[in-house]
Amino acid sequence: MAVYKHSYQAYTGPLTSTSLRFLTLPRYAYQRIFGSRIFLALFLVCFLPPLVAAVFIYLQHNAKALQILQIPINELIPIDAAFFQVFLYIQCSLGFILATLVGPGLVSPDLTNNALPLYLSRPLTRRDYALGKISALLILLSLITWIPLSLLFFFEAKMAGMEWLWKNIRLEIAIVTGAWIWMLVISLLAVALSAWVKWRPIAGALIFGVFIVGGGFGALVNTVLFTNWGSLVNIAAMMDIAWRWLFRGEGTPNSLPVWSAFAGLVGFCGVCLLLLSKKLKAYEVVRS
Amino acid sequence: MTDQDKIVVDNVSKFYGEVLGVNRVCLSIPPGITSLVGPNGAGKTTLLNLICGLLRPTKGKISVLGQTVNEPDLLYRKLGYCSQFDAFPRGLTGLELIYGYLKVYGLSDREAHQMAWSALETVNLTDAANRRVHAYSKGMRQRVKLAQAISHRPQVLILDEPLNGLDPMARAEVIALFQRLAADGAHVLISSHILHEVDMISDRVILINNGYVVAEGNIRGVRDEMDEHPMQIMVRCDRPAAVAAKAFEQDHAVEVKMHEDGQGLMIRTRSADQFYLMLNRIVLDCNLNVEAVAPADDDVYSVYQYLIGTDGGRL
Amino acid sequence: MQSVIELDNLTIRFGRQTVLKGLKGAFSGRAIGLLGPNGAGKTTLLHTLLGFYPPAAGTGRVFGYDIQREIKKIRHLIGYMPENDSFIADMTGIRFVRMMAELSGLPPSLALERAHETLFYVGLGEARYRKLGTYSLGMKQMAKLAQAIVHGPKLLILDEPTNGLDPPARQRMISLIRDIRATGETALILSSHLLRDVEECCEEVMILKEGEIVVYCNLEEERKANRKFLELEIIGDTQPFVEMAERLGCECAVQGGYRIKMVLPEQVHIRDLYSLAANKQIQIRKLNYKRDSLQDIFLKAMEGNRGSLQA
Repeated sequence: MAVYKHSYQAYTGPLTSTSLRFLTLPRYAYQRIFGSRIFLALFLVCFLPPLVAAVFIYLQHNAKALQILQIPINELIPIDAAFFQVFLYIQCSLGFILATLVGPGLVSPDLTNNALPLYLSRPLTRRDYALGKISALLILLSLITWIPLSLLFFFEAKMAGMEWLWKNIRLEIAIVTGAWIWMLVISLLAVALSAWVKWRPIAGALIFGVFIVGGGFGALVNTVLFTNWGSLVNIAAMMDIAWRWLFRGEGTPNSLPVWSAFAGLVGFCGVCLLLLSKKLKAYEVVRS
Repeated sequence: MTDQDKIVVDNVSKFYGEVLGVNRVCLSIPPGITSLVGPNGAGKTTLLNLICGLLRPTKGKISVLGQTVNEPDLLYRKLGYCSQFDAFPRGLTGLELIYGYLKVYGLSDREAHQMAWSALETVNLTDAANRRVHAYSKGMRQRVKLAQAISHRPQVLILDEPLNGLDPMARAEVIALFQRLAADGAHVLISSHILHEVDMISDRVILINNGYVVAEGNIRGVRDEMDEHPMQIMVRCDRPAAVAAKAFEQDHAVEVKMHEDGQGLMIRTRSADQFYLMLNRIVLDCNLNVEAVAPADDDVYSVYQYLIGTDGGRL
Repeated sequence: MQSVIELDNLTIRFGRQTVLKGLKGAFSGRAIGLLGPNGAGKTTLLHTLLGFYPPAAGTGRVFGYDIQREIKKIRHLIGYMPENDSFIADMTGIRFVRMMAELSGLPPSLALERAHETLFYVGLGEARYRKLGTYSLGMKQMAKLAQAIVHGPKLLILDEPTNGLDPPARQRMISLIRDIRATGETALILSSHLLRDVEECCEEVMILKEGEIVVYCNLEEERKANRKFLELEIIGDTQPFVEMAERLGCECAVQGGYRIKMVLPEQVHIRDLYSLAANKQIQIRKLNYKRDSLQDIFLKAMEGNRGSLQA
């Protein structure tokens, strides 16, 4: 017979790697959000357009299937830059909706009840914390944007042959770069808003708001001042310009020069990071 | 002493819808320092708010020095209240806060200023009087609350956890303040969790649990009334066995427990008087080296344990 | 023995205000109580050791690791229980403690086991499956303690652990802290305004005033030095008792009619007092060596500056 006494014991076991520790944060965020069936359903819906695109690609290269479906060959959609750009646009829009659902709940629960000191008293710097929260969104968005689209690209390449691959490698670069720029913009915006705004619906609405107000204000400035620089607050416009350049190598007429669009986007990310760093402090020092 | 000198709570019950606040409480509080003790959620804040007139009882009557809450302008001249919550209007300095509060009493500018300043002096906040309350540390905010409560020189002070957040020095100063006020005849009603301080400063104690008053009165008196618990006395000495043997020869000893290190014992006896007189003799007869003697359960903490136990504090 | 904390001219400034002024010393106590008036810099010192503020000058070391360069290693070894409310309302107790454990480096499977063990140890039973937002104050404090010890830190920093707790909850917290200290594997720093808490849990005491260390001493030694001071409570005729005691050479001070503080000279023993009591049919209801050592130490340290204010 043995009587077991349970008292406090120190921990002497193995530890996980410090540099990858921030990934704990996305893991817990996913446990929470995928618990909601609505979200799960929405997430799965995001994979439908790539599936449709895959079907298009398959049909392009499969004459027999075309015959069965009785689709004349000249009515097929060409698989080119426009094709991928359109689908990227669709996926990013769906991702936008996901971000407004996921983003607001990332940081505000930690700040509402002063839990940040508990995080920061662990081997987790402010940078790690921010990285963890942002990557929760980045990973999620990656899964529905550049990853499926890159798979589509390589699927088409397999179907069309290596020549097509090398001729159109620019497209793959455009997909990855375009998706990442957009993911960074939206993730930083969502996380920054989550840190500043306590109520989730309002934070979500504000994400929309930034785009709509930015768009409206930008258009207003452009009209009133007869210029194009108003578009610097119009994120959607800047993204369009950036993508167009990435996919087709051309600037957008009657609009901002390409370099300024990129600069504007980078600037926007910088502002979000600044806002985030202001809020993520272990303790406020109140001055009299 | 008539009802005009006391705070009288007459068969008061307070319910929040179905939820119990306090039930059938009867109290009659004389001048001096009275402490209200009980677990969180027992009804302390409810009771204090009822006495202050911030809540109306569902049943029963309350009068403070003969004044009911039906004439608030008269009642609040006699009453000062310090809540346990930490909330202030934004943008005010300490002096402005108390000055504004005093102006509500209809005092002239000069008088209000003077009394505000003197209240701040009493709590030692004169250095920070012109800084915003928002920038105060926790201890300073607590002190400004106290200053507000005493600023209009009330006869009755109702203080909900007044020592919360104060450093040891400030605690001693505030306790001295309460004792001064009580010596002048004021009613000081304090709610507190720090039982050894309650023991030290209170004249009377009210124990409350689950909305009922479980015991009330002078702590020694309360203890004496609890006969189902014989008095526990602790003795630290070099030969506890000798004490134990002698004790068992008498019939007042109920239980003796030796301390683990063999340097003392705990005795439960039905008659503390007899035991202590007996102890005098034992020390001399057996040549004992006594290190300490103390009643183990004659204080608020023990009474609390017996009457309330760990009930209210359950997680 | 390696010191737990080393302070090397540590200076912290907030804007133009110097909050910690060149603190120096090597502290190797197992349980250190941190005391001081409001604004003395206690919380700032704790936060600096955790790496929340960079020093303006000088540095500090915890277990030999520098707080400026090796803060992650330090944070591996520290558990922190902050003074203010600190929780995530939407998480259940078990998930919260588990996430904190994983953030401290425990592998996920072990983290779950440890979290349950720790929650059991602090006494949160079924409540661990409820959301933290629904907890009472005592439970939230226990959850805070649980997240501080789940990764088995070598140094536990507790800031006002009994804040707002009712007497039974306070007892439970104190006995848990004493138990943790007794295992010998964890050093403690306890910052509190309640001298009782520090007396019950700590062996050494550090008192800060206006950003400087004014006292660092060992409580046990202080208590031993107080052997000649006695406190008594009697029932009976105080006056004759006191007179006779004074004739023996004791100095007496009477408070409240029945409380007596005495200083015994070399040749007088407690037995002599008992013979006086036996003679006069007086009951000595309470007798002990002065226990106010910490109160005295504190007040002496604050001398010359009574009622001063800090920002």
